[in-house]
Amino acid sequence: MSRTSQISGDAAPLAFNDNPAADSRQPRSISTGTQSHRLSSGGQIDRKQPLGFTFDGKKMVGFAGDTLASALVANGIKLVGRSFKYHRPRGILTAGAEEPNALVELRGGARREPNTRATTTELYDGLAAESQNRWPSLRHDVMAVNSLFSPIFVAGFYYKTFMWPAKLWEKLYEPAIRRAAGLGKASGAADPDHYEKAWAHCDVLVVGSGPSGLAAALAAGRAGARVILAEEDSRLGGRLLSENGEIDGKPVAEWLAGAQREIAALANIRVMTRTAVFGVYDGGTYGAIERVNDHVPVPPAHQPRQRLWRIVAKHAVVAAGAIERPLVFPGNDRPGVMMASAVRSYINRFAAMPGRQVALFTNNDDGWRTAEAVQRAGGAVAAVIDSRGAAPERYRGLSAKLLGGVVSAVNGGVDCVRSIVVRDAGGRTQQIETDCLAMSGGWNPNVALSSFHRGRPVWRDDIAAFAPGQCPPGMVMVGAASGDFSLAACLREGHAAGEDAAKACGAKGKAGEAPKGDDEVFAIKPLWHVEGGKAFVDFQHDVTASDVKLAQREGFESVEHLKRYTTLGMATDQGKLSNVNGLALMAEATGRSIGDTGTTIYRPPYAPVAIGALAGHHRDENFHAWRLTPSHHWAAERGAVFVDTGLWKRAQWYPIDGEKDWLESVTREVLAVRNGVGFCDVSTLGKVDVRGPDAGIFLDRLYINTFSNLAVGKARYGLMLREDGLVYDDGTTSRLAEDHYFLTTTTAKAGPAMQHLEYCRQVLWPELDVQLTSVTDQWAQFSIAGPNTRDLLKNLCDPSEDLSNEGFPFMGVREVSLRGGMRARLYRISFSGEMAFEIGVPARYGEAMAENLMRAGAEFGVTPYGTEALGVMRIEKGHVAGPELNGTTTADDLGLGKMMSKKKDYIGRAMAGREALTAPDRQVVVGIKPVNKTNRLRSGAHIIPKGAAPGPETDQGYLTSVCYSPMLGHWIALALVERGRERHGEIVRAYDPLRGEDMDVEITSPVFYDPEGGRQRG
Amino acid sequence: MRIACPFCGERELGEFTYLGDAAPKRPMAFAADGAEQPEAQDLFFDYVYLRDNVAGDMTERWYHGGGCRSWLTVTRNTTTHEIKAVHAAPGAGAQKRTKAGATS
Amino acid sequence: MAEYSWEVRSPLRNAFAPGRLGLASGDAGIALAEISDFSLVQVMARRGQVANVAKAAKKAWGVLPPEKPAAVVGKDATLIWTGPDQFFVLTAGSVPDPVPPLAVIFGGAASLSDQSGGRCLIRLSGSKVREALAKVSSVDLHDTVFPVGAAAATSIDHTGVNLWRGPDAADGHPAYSLLVFTSFADSLWHTLADAAAEYGVEATRTPLS
Repeated sequence: MSRTSQISGDAAPLAFNDNPAADSRQPRSISTGTQSHRLSSGGQIDRKQPLGFTFDGKKMVGFAGDTLASALVANGIKLVGRSFKYHRPRGILTAGAEEPNALVELRGGARREPNTRATTTELYDGLAAESQNRWPSLRHDVMAVNSLFSPIFVAGFYYKTFMWPAKLWEKLYEPAIRRAAGLGKASGAADPDHYEKAWAHCDVLVVGSGPSGLAAALAAGRAGARVILAEEDSRLGGRLLSENGEIDGKPVAEWLAGAQREIAALANIRVMTRTAVFGVYDGGTYGAIERVNDHVPVPPAHQPRQRLWRIVAKHAVVAAGAIERPLVFPGNDRPGVMMASAVRSYINRFAAMPGRQVALFTNNDDGWRTAEAVQRAGGAVAAVIDSRGAAPERYRGLSAKLLGGVVSAVNGGVDCVRSIVVRDAGGRTQQIETDCLAMSGGWNPNVALSSFHRGRPVWRDDIAAFAPGQCPPGMVMVGAASGDFSLAACLREGHAAGEDAAKACGAKGKAGEAPKGDDEVFAIKPLWHVEGGKAFVDFQHDVTASDVKLAQREGFESVEHLKRYTTLGMATDQGKLSNVNGLALMAEATGRSIGDTGTTIYRPPYAPVAIGALAGHHRDENFHAWRLTPSHHWAAERGAVFVDTGLWKRAQWYPIDGEKDWLESVTREVLAVRNGVGFCDVSTLGKVDVRGPDAGIFLDRLYINTFSNLAVGKARYGLMLREDGLVYDDGTTSRLAEDHYFLTTTTAKAGPAMQHLEYCRQVLWPELDVQLTSVTDQWAQFSIAGPNTRDLLKNLCDPSEDLSNEGFPFMGVREVSLRGGMRARLYRISFSGEMAFEIGVPARYGEAMAENLMRAGAEFGVTPYGTEALGVMRIEKGHVAGPELNGTTTADDLGLGKMMSKKKDYIGRAMAGREALTAPDRQVVVGIKPVNKTNRLRSGAHIIPKGAAPGPETDQGYLTSVCYSPMLGHWIALALVERGRERHGEIVRAYDPLRGEDMDVEITSPVFYDPEGGRQRG
Repeated sequence: MRIACPFCGERELGEFTYLGDAAPKRPMAFAADGAEQPEAQDLFFDYVYLRDNVAGDMTERWYHGGGCRSWLTVTRNTTTHEIKAVHAAPGAGAQKRTKAGATS
Repeated sequence: MAEYSWEVRSPLRNAFAPGRLGLASGDAGIALAEISDFSLVQVMARRGQVANVAKAAKKAWGVLPPEKPAAVVGKDATLIWTGPDQFFVLTAGSVPDPVPPLAVIFGGAASLSDQSGGRCLIRLSGSKVREALAKVSSVDLHDTVFPVGAAAATSIDHTGVNLWRGPDAADGHPAYSLLVFTSFADSLWHTLADAAAEYGVEATRTPLS
């Protein structure tokens, strides 16, 4: 049966739904009376489920299965938006993801979502959409005055006109221009919905569920491969939903239903609808965005709005179809001009007739299907204008008026087409009455995914389009996406690719036969431009054919320059409609071929991806993971104030009632330690078990000082360099057994240091028998400090434990028994300069340890202290920490040069001896006191000699660590100062241009408190 | 990008950390008694700073810190990101090694 | 003299609340459990001692330690691969120091470190367990790739975890165990509960048996 006979024979004439009251199936409560352009039967909409919605406040009704765009078409709405630059009235142009015009603001309040494509927005009851970029209304937009000046608003206009004075660009011109030319507005409020990310894995990823995609998924699925079938739309079928025809001798709808049943029955095929694959990344990883709940007003409780997928696929069959190309002719942007394939979609899929007198302008055979579809649905075809001059053979039976030539003008109002002017080859014109002009300039294979790894599309003259070039590894393009447009070819290629991919993954099953379809010929004769008026190439960015030619005249001939000069292809549709037309015009202007002109670089994402989806779960309190110390909850219950230190939350201080600020709390804590006893959770320090017969040699090579000669039961401070000779990290390491060292790192370097240690073990010195394990989380470690420390420990430890200087000397380490039946590791080390111990128990006893320390120290007024007090006490003692171990300092800069062994190799030794790293004028650690003791020092202030003008050439260093010293009663600082060790006693300036401060300060020894160290050795 | 860890199998990039060129070998620039050799600084200068800017296949050090904590030597094409080989560092695991990294 | 007691506290003591989380209607799609009262020791073979370590393990628990990412159930212990030539020994019951008995088993063939306080053990199962885990884990948990007994040293939310699939739960759904660093446990529990919320979560706490 030929197609023409189907039309004349089978298709019953369909009436417009002009009198909805006659349709008895409608519920009474809701009127469908606005659907002036709805066909009374057909389509994949559910007429029993009317959905109310508003557009710019106007109440309308559509049906379940509609998109917002199809509902607008059914309601006879033509004008849906204003263009970006000229504020020209624009109508719905497409029926898919490539839509450049019908962008709306969806939802309200914090959920307001600008620039949403009406063509991909599923209609839901209560949907509220607003048009964009117009004021005061879509019909009467005052900025449309821009259009009157459009002859001067050409490409590059702003840059040329507002060049001078240059400083006004940022402040005045650009904001004003951006206000005039814009898209929708974001809500500005936090998005109340949540988003998430997820992983999926498969053998074969099939992108797109048109005929090729379905054939591929079926073949791979039957063969037994794990298949993911991703479809951007809410339902499977792709173009099959919008076209007539037969597959395997059945009408497409019937075949499609059968294919869906089979797919549903195959457990190894996972169908992901509403999921757009937007990018391909290295190693067969694909990015996809699933619009989980965009089709409902508010996501159900606990469900995300959107989900970002990373799909790992061994093979991918990309059946992403093709996108129909507009024709570039005067008036091609008037509302009522629509892509020919979109007209078919609205008729066949949505039962909405875009016009009562549809005219068709085409340069290829495929466009003719639209005339056929209009007539089959009972609509009227005003005329078919084929620039090739003759009807293709298979459409000769259509009873439509055929005109050779081109459309040279489109007449009408702000929201409609009333007539078109057709000009023949001889220049004679005639006017045709029409309210909808369908245009087809051919099809562009959707090559995006094939090109994201710099695969360059290849021009094919036979289809007048770019076809995929070299695909990323593991990917094949099939069907229309590969430039093979016939239904038969799509089915054949999809099936073969699905079967091949499954076999390549080791699937052994039978793929069955490829479905069979019509092998129609795609014939096209390019028509790139019709002269005679403003003809748009990029609809959203208002780039016209003459802009492209202007760019060429001004020397912007490269496609990348063309894009940036004219903004062609830079709109939200990313050139899906416009790019090839722009390139063709540039090729024409330069006299090069289109293939030589080439395409711009393709980059993901193919489809818009909300930033929220990229962030997923990681926002607000979940911005990043957090780490809690063993005493965290105990500290929180005491009202501790926490500070983020990397991922850790550490108790910063423990305020008590009546304290007015942090300084008061911290000062109290310091004094309590210095005069009594306190404790601090220091579990965040990195802790590593270094075990094995060669552990000592290993540490010797790692640290500047020696550890192999450390006695069991002793601790030693160690300093590590980077291989370039600068300081890497420091910490205390204890020898717990002959073959067991317990190494500590700073909190910040715990992770990197572990990586460094493993590098040394596995890469540098594989001959050493040493094993490394992070035990940071295993041990709850507390520093107990102050003159009453030993008294507290006597209460806590078993009476048999000797804690005297003789029984437990400074830098001694051993396991002790605690009251209540607990073993602990006790280390006599001090960061505060006081008599101090660190005590470690397995982390699950950490909270009990905090409670027991309070109990044991109650009679001495034991005080928990936080990181601030810890920091104050280390500054008072001149101990270096992060601000001094800052990646620019050497061991000698820190006053630790004497630790550098000359008897062994160690990381950083050779480079530490370089001239610049041993120069006498290096900045070294000193102490700083204000001359006026009431002055507050500021970290970051520069050290400038007295009498010198501050500047880079007189800058001699800066303050690294600053605190108020409760012991000295004034502010003190550590600083890095040129030749600082020779300059103790010198008065210099602390110059802080950020805060406008400048004061005299004295350079001192960095050890402010107990310089003899008697207290810690007590 | 995905790297096939010889121990864990193929894993996503986020589990790995990049160090850089695997070609430079740490110099043996010190005598047995620890005395520095005259050329030590030059050798270490090359080792620490001098790198080829390879367009093509390159051997690189990667750390599977988000997995089994093994150091890996990865042969990767820097222009295509194609990974051609992944080997464990000589000292990964517990095999006995000589200084040269060979199994003894 | 004051009384000193040493109560074990879970790192989830604030995060954990027994009962239903997330979707309140219908059957919970996810069973999320904190497994308490276990001992965990890191065993790392010394150089050239892999065979001796294997022999010792076989003698102690009747099974060879895993040579690839896997969790092997032996007599009174589960041996979980953590890296080349290293594994965890997981046993029921919390003791102050589980290392000495293992030192007897392995002699000098392995380096041992107690990690009983360094990890938190979480188990997930339920009809939607794979869907929930897919939101946090990049590992392919499909039956063909990650059958019962499979293990992975991997990362969740930038945090190192040891993940393995134990025997299926009584209701036939797969069950996955996760060892996570203690300090990250509170954070990870929230992340897991959030990922599972749309399916409904039943949270419990049980000792390792």
